Amino acid sequence: MILIEAGERSDRSFDAKLLLATQLSARGHRIVLDDRTLPDKLERYQKYEAAPYLADPDRVTVSRVLLIGAETVGQDTLMALRSRQVRPGVPVHVVGRFADRQGAIAARARVAYAVGREPEVVDLASLQGPTLVAHAISPLAAAPVPASDQDRTPRLFVVLRQEALEDPMVLPLLSAMDQLPGYRLRVILPGKGKDQVKSTRHAQLTVFGLSELSPATFAARADIAAFFGDGVPGERMAAFALDLMRSGRVAIDCTAGAGLVAAGAPALRGPEDLGALANYVQHTVLVNRREIGRQAMRSPWIAQRSVEPLEAALGLAAPASPAPASPVPAGKRPAGKRIVFLPTNGIGLGHARRCALIAAGIDRGEASPAFAAFPSCLPMLRAEGFDCLPLVQKSPDHPEDHANDLLTYLRLRHALAAGDRLVFDGGYVFDSVLRTIYEKGLEATWVRRGLWQAGQLQGVTLDRERAFARVIVPCEAFAELNADRGGARVHSVGPVVERRALPDADARASGRERLSARMGARFDDLVVTMLGGGVAADRTAQTQAVAAMAEGRQGCLNLVVVWPGAAAPAGLHGWKNTRVVQTRDALSLCLLADLVISATGYNSFHELLYHGIPAIFVPQMAAFMDDQERRARAASDRGLAETVLAHEMLLLEREIAAFLGGKAERVRAALRATALPATGNRAAAALILGKEAP
Amino acid sequence: MTDRPRVAYVLDPRFPGGTSSAVAEEIAAIRPLVRPEFHAVSSRMFSGQSLSPALAAACEAAGLDPVWDAPLIAADTVILHNPAFLKFDARLGRRIIARELIVVTHENFLRPGGAEGFDVAGCLDRIDRGALALRKTLAPVSAHNRATVTGWAARNGLRPGWSIAAEDWFNICDFPLLPPTGVPRDRRGRHSRPGFEKFPPRRVLDLCFPPDAEANVILGAEVLMAGEAPPLHWQLHPFRGLDLARYFEMIDFMVYFTAPTWQESFGRVLAEGIAAGKVVISDPATAAGFGGAVIAARPEEVDGIIAGFLAAPERYGMHVRAAQATLARFSADAFRSRFAAATGFAGGVAA
Repeated sequence: MILIEAGERSDRSFDAKLLLATQLSARGHRIVLDDRTLPDKLERYQKYEAAPYLADPDRVTVSRVLLIGAETVGQDTLMALRSRQVRPGVPVHVVGRFADRQGAIAARARVAYAVGREPEVVDLASLQGPTLVAHAISPLAAAPVPASDQDRTPRLFVVLRQEALEDPMVLPLLSAMDQLPGYRLRVILPGKGKDQVKSTRHAQLTVFGLSELSPATFAARADIAAFFGDGVPGERMAAFALDLMRSGRVAIDCTAGAGLVAAGAPALRGPEDLGALANYVQHTVLVNRREIGRQAMRSPWIAQRSVEPLEAALGLAAPASPAPASPVPAGKRPAGKRIVFLPTNGIGLGHARRCALIAAGIDRGEASPAFAAFPSCLPMLRAEGFDCLPLVQKSPDHPEDHANDLLTYLRLRHALAAGDRLVFDGGYVFDSVLRTIYEKGLEATWVRRGLWQAGQLQGVTLDRERAFARVIVPCEAFAELNADRGGARVHSVGPVVERRALPDADARASGRERLSARMGARFDDLVVTMLGGGVAADRTAQTQAVAAMAEGRQGCLNLVVVWPGAAAPAGLHGWKNTRVVQTRDALSLCLLADLVISATGYNSFHELLYHGIPAIFVPQMAAFMDDQERRARAASDRGLAETVLAHEMLLLEREIAAFLGGKAERVRAALRATALPATGNRAAAALILGKEAP
Repeated sequence: MTDRPRVAYVLDPRFPGGTSSAVAEEIAAIRPLVRPEFHAVSSRMFSGQSLSPALAAACEAAGLDPVWDAPLIAADTVILHNPAFLKFDARLGRRIIARELIVVTHENFLRPGGAEGFDVAGCLDRIDRGALALRKTLAPVSAHNRATVTGWAARNGLRPGWSIAAEDWFNICDFPLLPPTGVPRDRRGRHSRPGFEKFPPRRVLDLCFPPDAEANVILGAEVLMAGEAPPLHWQLHPFRGLDLARYFEMIDFMVYFTAPTWQESFGRVLAEGIAAGKVVISDPATAAGFGGAVIAARPEEVDGIIAGFLAAPERYGMHVRAAQATLARFSADAFRSRFAAATGFAGGVAA
């Protein structure tokens, strides 16, 4: 592995190491950064960027050491080099832009003293010529990014300084530009610029934080980039511009100091005034875009600053891009598209269940679905025959709230490759998911069930929708519950729900007989209670109330259903007519039941509805959940169920008595008579494969 | 008095180590022979404007007022010590006019393996452009230093008018000689400034300062103190953390190895050890400058050498006394003779 060190221990130096690590890693080189060199305070984006490379160098085999920013080599770095005892034969390269010969000699000597042998000196000033950014620490070499889809509408990235937002005309101008055909506008802003824009009426603009993605990821997503400000805005944006030009795309220098053009870069000199950019792009750039890009790519200036000469100077053979690992061992991976589903665990297992239903609708000859899932979902998914990459669940014991997401990022990054498809099911798109989509150029689908509570679906949540090729919204059974905001990439499909054949009277009777024998209790009335695992809301009182009701009814058996491993409310074992059943197959029990008392999660609700099972719904409500009460009332308002709120204990008692006294059969009949929309399982699967929904 | 030849010393007097100490001794030694002047140069190598303590004392004893940054330096002979002080400057920054310019090369031009020690060509070029002299001479301070100078010259060539002195411009080592102990013990030590170049790899240090030695005293050990988990059997002291006399009381063997990528140009520190009555062991290249007074060894051989002396204590005393006798080669008298031969200033009148 290649260990990248920097002359000084500073935030800037660490960021420069990250830049180079990302670039060389994308070229297929295996990179390690010393985890002891982490700055005390690391930006969140840096943690994600650094995570793949951080290690204790004493625990890996270091095959080469690159010391960048060697113009100044501090004591800490020298001490680390000395104590590391670099093995004989491991080349050490001292990389810097040395002001003069003495600078290079001194850097070489200092490192030679510390490591006990002579390093190789790479003087970027002679290798690359003048740099775009004064005092840059990173080598800033231009690397090609994957070719973009020639037919896509060009994407114009506008890079602004945060102070630009002080001009009241800037956001209106950008919004006006955003409406023009011919290109898709993206804005890059440093600092809090993105948040600033998102809090205005121009929130519809697609804005990235300057450090949100790596320069190469920006370059892969851009066709044209216009740089504003006094000069080239830092090493990251310089790297972005270099990758862009190297890849045959267009860089427009709109800086006041003409930083790119003055340095000799094959960039266009654009207008310094943002207001003039739209016309400039439309009438000068778009019409000649490919030729401008070709000229840039062939420019000797770019050739001199390309990554290949740097690799040669560092003695790095340019390997082919590494094949990432897969949740399915390579030898066993079926041919065809690979689709990885990532359901968030959320509350309960609804996301995973929905994903499993959609995945089951995918023809295995056409694509091979696999899962990246949290531990609670794994048994269910594996039982259904899916390969699973385990993820780590969030925990209050972690040092940071996103610590587990860093691991998720590492695992996704390792498991997924360009060309794979990712299906995410959840409410909030994790940073890990977003970064992986962007970095790997994945075609991604967001399965986003509806029925959001007021104010839930906005801001960052919706902003992240842009990373996905499509959003699939599995509908609710009742029209008034379907109110997704829509949009070009949003596709509604019928409810995603498991459908089983309904047992006829004989099958039902024999099933109840078997159940009776198994439970060691004869019953006339079978009640199934599944009020949730207690994570979102404590339903102990309601569950106990149902148990007490069952106890008071002759011939009544109450089955309290929980997921395997989940905790059942305490004290239930004392009731003679109540049993606690751990199962993943609640539906089989519900099909035999006279009454189901259930929470109103998407899956349970629709399973009960589509199988015509009489139910009393006790919605769970929490700020982070869907609007279960609305869902329950939509059914009860139609006479297809009853809704009892958690605090309505007396009503619950009355309704149970009513259902077991005949109301259940009336509801069952009403359900039979109700036409429900066709399920959307196969439609969702088709959309994920890029087909039209059937 | 006034007819004695004028000799101007030129150097950056803020060098904290051997250069300043050597020049201080030199001024005292040649004071009776010539009219010395002392020109202090503020190069970009250091900041502030304070002489090293050794030089300040030498100037005071000689009645010399240092002249800082004179634009013109004119003398019969100008002796510029350690041209490396110009390595961060674009030019010499003054004019030197002399019959002879002697540039004393305190720092090795080449490091072990052949890498350049500093921008030699740049420094010599700056001197050459700023100096008008009939002769310009590079004066190495030791055999090893000479080898690096001639090696560099063979590779890069010298400008017209430049030559390399035939004899070494050695450091004066007039230290008081202390008698050796009659009962040497396995008490080892080393002292140096705390730079990385002064320390060999850890593997070598482990061989030189083993746990079974009675004492391992390392003075100037900042590099080791800041490292991870130094062994408990090492007594580590920062530079100047111990009085030198006290340090020498704590040891009987001085074991001195440096980074393999660096070598002492003269090895004044070894002469200090010999004068203090210690057996001094070093690598063969460094030891060579002391003609047997320093025992040449590989790190693996150190234990055996020390064991041999402990087994025959009389050999210890004999070796130290013989080594101290060789230090006479570096006495002030010897230097005056060498100086007279090199400059022709034998007793106040130019030859």
